[in-house]
Amino acid sequence: MNHSSLSAFLLARLRDGLLVLLLITLVIFVLGHMIGDPAALMAPVDASEQEIARLRRQLGLDRPFTEQFATYFGSLLRGDFGQSLWQDRPALTVVLEALPATVLLTLVGLVFAGLGGSLLGVLAGARPESALDRCANFLSITALSVPNFWLGLLLIVIFAVQLGALPTSGFTSWQSLILPASALAIIHGARVFQLVRSATFEEMTKPYALVARSKGLPERLILWKHILRNTAVTMLTTIGWEYVRMMGGAAFAIEVVFAWPGIGQLMIHAASRQDFPVLQAAVIIAGAFVIVTNGIVDLLYRYLDSRIRAA
Amino acid sequence: MGKWSDGVFECWNNAFKPQYSIIPSLQRFLSWSLLIWVVYLLTITLFALTGGDLAPYDPTAQQVLARLLPPFSSSSRGFHWLGTDQLGRDLLSNMLAGARLTLFIGLVSNVIGMAIGVSLGMLAGYYGGAVDRFVMRLSEAQTAMPMFLVAIFFLTVLGPKVLNVVIILPTLIWPAFARLVRAETLRLRSALFVEAAVATGATDWTVLWSNILPNMAPRIAVLAVIELGHVMLAEAGLSFLGVGVQPPSTTWGLLIARGRAYLAVAWWLAIMPGIMLGLTVLALNMLSRRFAATSGSAA
Repeated sequence: MNHSSLSAFLLARLRDGLLVLLLITLVIFVLGHMIGDPAALMAPVDASEQEIARLRRQLGLDRPFTEQFATYFGSLLRGDFGQSLWQDRPALTVVLEALPATVLLTLVGLVFAGLGGSLLGVLAGARPESALDRCANFLSITALSVPNFWLGLLLIVIFAVQLGALPTSGFTSWQSLILPASALAIIHGARVFQLVRSATFEEMTKPYALVARSKGLPERLILWKHILRNTAVTMLTTIGWEYVRMMGGAAFAIEVVFAWPGIGQLMIHAASRQDFPVLQAAVIIAGAFVIVTNGIVDLLYRYLDSRIRAA
Repeated sequence: MGKWSDGVFECWNNAFKPQYSIIPSLQRFLSWSLLIWVVYLLTITLFALTGGDLAPYDPTAQQVLARLLPPFSSSSRGFHWLGTDQLGRDLLSNMLAGARLTLFIGLVSNVIGMAIGVSLGMLAGYYGGAVDRFVMRLSEAQTAMPMFLVAIFFLTVLGPKVLNVVIILPTLIWPAFARLVRAETLRLRSALFVEAAVATGATDWTVLWSNILPNMAPRIAVLAVIELGHVMLAEAGLSFLGVGVQPPSTTWGLLIARGRAYLAVAWWLAIMPGIMLGLTVLALNMLSRRFAATSGSAA
């Protein structure tokens, strides 16, 4: 890939990313301001019609749609997501405080999902229909068929209630990380396994593997050197996609199950208290995460793929 | 070209007639295990249709003296296969009653999502140009958005009602249908029988409805079975988080949420409904794999 095409690609990705972010804020804005009535939600329960109408005027809710959206988007760009109704602090601050816990949990979960899923995927794909392949395949389909929050509850029952071995809620020590990260690693590792397995299986049947085998190279060398190099692209992009899934909501239910102090739990608390500024900020920040991760995965894919083709 | 249902029947017949047999006994095993999944799905559907009338007990009947009984225990009322909850209600009866709304929401959302995805996908693939660009951009943008979070926001603003759940869930799945159907339509559009139909003066509508759609029906069916599982898991997630279906309605996701408070004293309340949901989605996944393997589709 030469420089001009790379920068053109980066620019196109940046433009697409910003467009999607604009779309998210538009959807959130339409839902929050046009369908819902912020004034009625913000006013005290016993407020009269006139008081609500006055509040609506104060908030600028009687202005035309485009003007309201422009004002809204402008304030978002300045980092003003409004005031949390429940904590009486800027909504953005509340969300950014919860962000590190979510990033820690998802990254640890992703590392184990990636390592475990890839390793098992390569081993199973190398020996299709073997006992390992059949077992791992069935287990991964099962893991993908159960709700992830239910798997979290199951881990709590087994390891915390019955064995009394591990903490179940909050973030007090590194041990609190084990159960929620395992739940994430199992579910997302299962999908990594599925894709790496089929990629390895496909590579095994290609001519270069046959040539290597007929040269008399040991099977282990073929698998871990030649095949792995060709499945690495699938592996990395799959793992990237799993991170997108986690930040797109999958990790959030796990946070609620384990009372993990991240964005997911914050969102559900905000939802039950009708704290829309925090809810909006959380969706937009998580959305930005998803978009940036998508971009990085795309870039990585192009980089690795072109290097392999050039080699 | 036959009726559009012919493709589905052909696919169904193939699913129960394994084509690749390594060992005859293995072949029998595969069919039998598949049969078990089909029987399980039909049983759940039967309970959903009858709305819990066939359940051992009235799901709402409370019994003060039989609270939090573990599975396989008896009360003065009789035997409780899966135990009772904090008010002495029979858990199995509650789960069977919950099958109705769980399956209803899953199926309706799936059909709506499929209808949107298939129509837009066919239009994009058949007409190309600006229509194609618009539909594909829309589906890409939607795939790039954290739709589950948007769904939480949507349901918080509009209120957690079954209707709203059924409105938002299809938006999670239509892009998958649109992408598949667009690619298939592009492939079929240049097929000889489509050209022949166009040459004999068939309208666009006739070509799309009776020439192109029947030929991709098996693939759409495979995807629909997979997506039904996804939608059911998404509904369970929303209900578990408290923004989906609300009590006194019952779905499996809601039963798991209700059992969560009693995890330390009565694990079966949260775990058992999850097993029933997991088995249902697993059965759907097994079925779709068999469909895909025998109809040569890579969905």
